[in-house]
Amino acid sequence: MRTPLFNTHVRLNAKMVDFHGWDMPVWYTGIKVEHLATRNACGLFDTSHMGEIYVSSGESVSFLNRMLTIDIHSMKQGQVKYTFLLNSGGGIIDDLTVYCIRPGYTYMLCVNASNKDKDFKWLTSHNKGSTILEDKSPNTSMLALQGPNWASLIKECLDLNLEDLKRFKFMVHSTPSFGDLLISRTGYTGADGVEIFMNNENAEALWNKFVEKGATPCGLGSRDTLRLEMGYPLHGNDIDEHITPFEAGLRFAVDLNKDFFIGKDALVKQKATGMKKRLTGLELMEKGVPRQGHLCLKEDKEVGIITSGSISPVLNKGIALCYLDSSIKEGEHIDILVRNKRLKAIVKRPPFVKGQIHN
Amino acid sequence: MNFPANLKYTKNHEWARVNGNKVTVGITDYAQSELGDIVYVEFNDKGTDVKQDGIFGTVESVKAVSELYAPVTGTIVEVNNALEDTPELINTDCYGNAWMIVIEMKDTSELDNLMDSKKYEDYVSSEAK
Repeated sequence: MRTPLFNTHVRLNAKMVDFHGWDMPVWYTGIKVEHLATRNACGLFDTSHMGEIYVSSGESVSFLNRMLTIDIHSMKQGQVKYTFLLNSGGGIIDDLTVYCIRPGYTYMLCVNASNKDKDFKWLTSHNKGSTILEDKSPNTSMLALQGPNWASLIKECLDLNLEDLKRFKFMVHSTPSFGDLLISRTGYTGADGVEIFMNNENAEALWNKFVEKGATPCGLGSRDTLRLEMGYPLHGNDIDEHITPFEAGLRFAVDLNKDFFIGKDALVKQKATGMKKRLTGLELMEKGVPRQGHLCLKEDKEVGIITSGSISPVLNKGIALCYLDSSIKEGEHIDILVRNKRLKAIVKRPPFVKGQIHN
Repeated sequence: MNFPANLKYTKNHEWARVNGNKVTVGITDYAQSELGDIVYVEFNDKGTDVKQDGIFGTVESVKAVSELYAPVTGTIVEVNNALEDTPELINTDCYGNAWMIVIEMKDTSELDNLMDSKKYEDYVSSEAK
């Protein structure tokens, strides 16, 4: 599958890769350059492969409250929240953001590209009422403008002052040149910035405008290293249907005070019995690159496994997310087994670099 | 993409510069561009033996891990340890300062198994498809 920006990526000489069936740019000039451009100036990402599922009816709130882990009822117009679809065992079917478009009636779920069809089926199979579920992904494009210069770029390209738009809030803005835009103060990089949803036919013009004014085109490679520096989990790597939000350290996006949601019973039970393992971070103390699947050792005992790893372009050090036995504490030293060599690492709760997000 | 005419090439994208019975080895412009930002290298020690097509080290970019394969059989007589501190040199100077090892070759007839630059260029363009 291709996003509406496919030809633009090719024209920019992007190195393209297959990402869950999508032909996506992994980098244009290089992951490090794009990573640092996002940290220091402004990066532009094509995230049109992400899914947008609209949920609408007078029963949307009760339906979504059963399906998602947060309280939908309390959401106000223009608010965004991070949440999960869980299975009955508390495992994460997907992590997503929910957008309150019309309180009590219309909500948009922004879901992972690789999980979109699965999510839609899951939602549909539990929808016994009159709620309308609509997959608008095929017509919707999404750009992420991320980096400290985001607001001046928005001002210059859209003649819009968005500095007052709070974190996890969105607004809808109609433009003569780019149609209707849903602009959200969110992102997956740890850099400040916005994510913008629009109709497919406007994506290329808006992309070109941002690039013309100085945004650096960034591929999925730097998106991955940026999110890893912040310790944001990637579904399919760090979280999946066998992992609960508690094990992944994502308790903040679960509201156990709700009467019911799918997976709640399992989470309540886990809260009482405790966890055997939890997701945490590792910083390498010597040269080397931790990768998914590498084992973590404490003396001769296996204590965990790495789910995401790379080099932090900011720290120039190996960093990783891993599941470690709950007995291993922050600040402890462990070894990572990299091709028969033991490399020393320190257990560190992410983020590995300081975020730059201002409210 | 640059493939100097005075070098020999392997199908695993290493280059070999032959000087008497010594062969200097590195990775090609195509290999470095496919890997992207190189962040780590590791070579077998000086004095160890390698076989043609046998592994003599590892190179890692932000995204990928790739083994390095010896173009000829012999003994590693020099290792460019400077690359351990500046692996990014492989991206910018792959045929120059980013040479990796020197092998003292056992059997010069093995060179016949390598490609010249023209053949390698064709090989790369067929692989890129």
